[in-house]
Amino acid sequence: MLRLHAPQVLGALVRRYGHFDTAEDAVQEALLAAAGQWPREGVPANPRGWLIRVASRRLTDALRSEEARARREETARRLEPREPRAAPADDDTLTLLFLCCDPVLPPAARIALTLRAVGGLTTAEIARAFLVPEATVAQRISRAKAKLRAAGADRPFHPPGPQDRDARLASVLQVLYLVFNEGYTATSGPALHRADLAREAIRLTRAVRRLLPHEGTVTGLLALMLLTEARSAARTGPDGELIPLDEQDRTRWDRAAIAEGTALVEEALAEGPPGPYQLQAAIAALHDEATGPDTTDWPQILALYDVLLTTTPDDPMAALGRVVALAMVEGPEAGLAALTALEPRLPHSHRLPAVRAHLLERTGALSAAADAYRTAARATDSLPERRYLQMRAARLDP
Amino acid sequence: MKYLVMVQGAQADYDAMNGRASEQSPAWSEQELRAMFAYMNAINDDLAESGELIDAQGLVEPARTRFVTADADGRPVVTDGPYGETKEVLAGYWVLDCANLERVTEIAARVAQCPQPAGAPVYPVVIRPVDESGGGDLGGGELG
Repeated sequence: MLRLHAPQVLGALVRRYGHFDTAEDAVQEALLAAAGQWPREGVPANPRGWLIRVASRRLTDALRSEEARARREETARRLEPREPRAAPADDDTLTLLFLCCDPVLPPAARIALTLRAVGGLTTAEIARAFLVPEATVAQRISRAKAKLRAAGADRPFHPPGPQDRDARLASVLQVLYLVFNEGYTATSGPALHRADLAREAIRLTRAVRRLLPHEGTVTGLLALMLLTEARSAARTGPDGELIPLDEQDRTRWDRAAIAEGTALVEEALAEGPPGPYQLQAAIAALHDEATGPDTTDWPQILALYDVLLTTTPDDPMAALGRVVALAMVEGPEAGLAALTALEPRLPHSHRLPAVRAHLLERTGALSAAADAYRTAARATDSLPERRYLQMRAARLDP
Repeated sequence: MKYLVMVQGAQADYDAMNGRASEQSPAWSEQELRAMFAYMNAINDDLAESGELIDAQGLVEPARTRFVTADADGRPVVTDGPYGETKEVLAGYWVLDCANLERVTEIAARVAQCPQPAGAPVYPVVIRPVDESGGGDLGGGELG
């Protein structure tokens, strides 16, 4: 529950006082105080009001002592009590997101700051999710806050103007997309925390969509996440090994998430020219709606990849996805030929030899397929993927 | 107490898991791979459950090793692997927080019983206690 209040409390403070960096520390202190006090004394009638009051006190204390040191008239004026404006709390969430995803920050800092300030995750939780030391996350966050302060980015606190808005929104969505992928790919480490991360990305993207309900890119990204996450239960076997899409038990897919995601895709596609998120979501929807690989609408998927590649021509992963679709429409030989053309653009990826292995297996060239699976297994750093590829290769051996 | 528990392997063992047999190591079958993955996953799940697991990682094949030294101007001099076919190196490790050496020995013995193909080489599981006395003081304290 504390996590849900964090962005609203922080937003209220920053809107009233500015000083994002100090305010963020004050909110963390208030949350700590609540975590200690509420279980003993009961949750106050207005928990958010309680948190805002306590955090405000901490913030004004901190700013006063800072002011005493620096003797800044400016700060004194800022501390005059002001009536909080009656703005919907959700506006603060969006403004906070825009602030945390300031393009002056490196992507890793944007992610850490967003998860802490908007997601309400602790430094330890973020560190665990990204498998980095807690000190690294703490440092990343404090550097990011210092950088925002130096750039004067944290005041005035209002949503960016129209000229900044699109660039900022793109950054916000990219951060949410990266958080989701980190959760979904689960390259290593305890899977539990990674699943949390994917859910957190979905929760935050839902929040953005509530604020920008008619923004096709937002709707498309939410749809993409839901349609991808819907398959997660079927994606790994009992030993944690990866199960490819065409072998997944589709009865384990989350039908409700697929229905919601599919409806969102239709909405997103109606909202204007489709960008990469909408197109990827549309492809995911076609996979999710099919009862199996044989009933999948591959010609439609191939057509969507062609459009996707006109919007992101430099995305080699989209090009690889197109090869898979092409092989399903025109046969594995056509796929293998297209793969060779793609090779110079993906020299170190394990995914290219993995696709080659699958296509070779379909042509009946089993020994060459086993070799390609092994090439792919050696090239990946992901344990579940390596295990899957090794087992595929071993299966083809006489 | 924190302990580093290490398993060893040679390039030939990685090749064997990738289906290429050698004199030292027969190639692994799908069933043998599956049994080994399941066994190791069960150990990791138990250690996560008991709260003793701090970190565990498997390392990629020795052939992907990179050696770095610095030349007189401080520029990195890079040598790629591979290690020789028979030389065993670190293949994976656990960092564990266990009550005592007896407990971590029990875990290492369980790791040592991991199923593998008949005739595959047997390496000891290595336990090294982590020095928790604070390495930062070494320069000014014990050595100074």
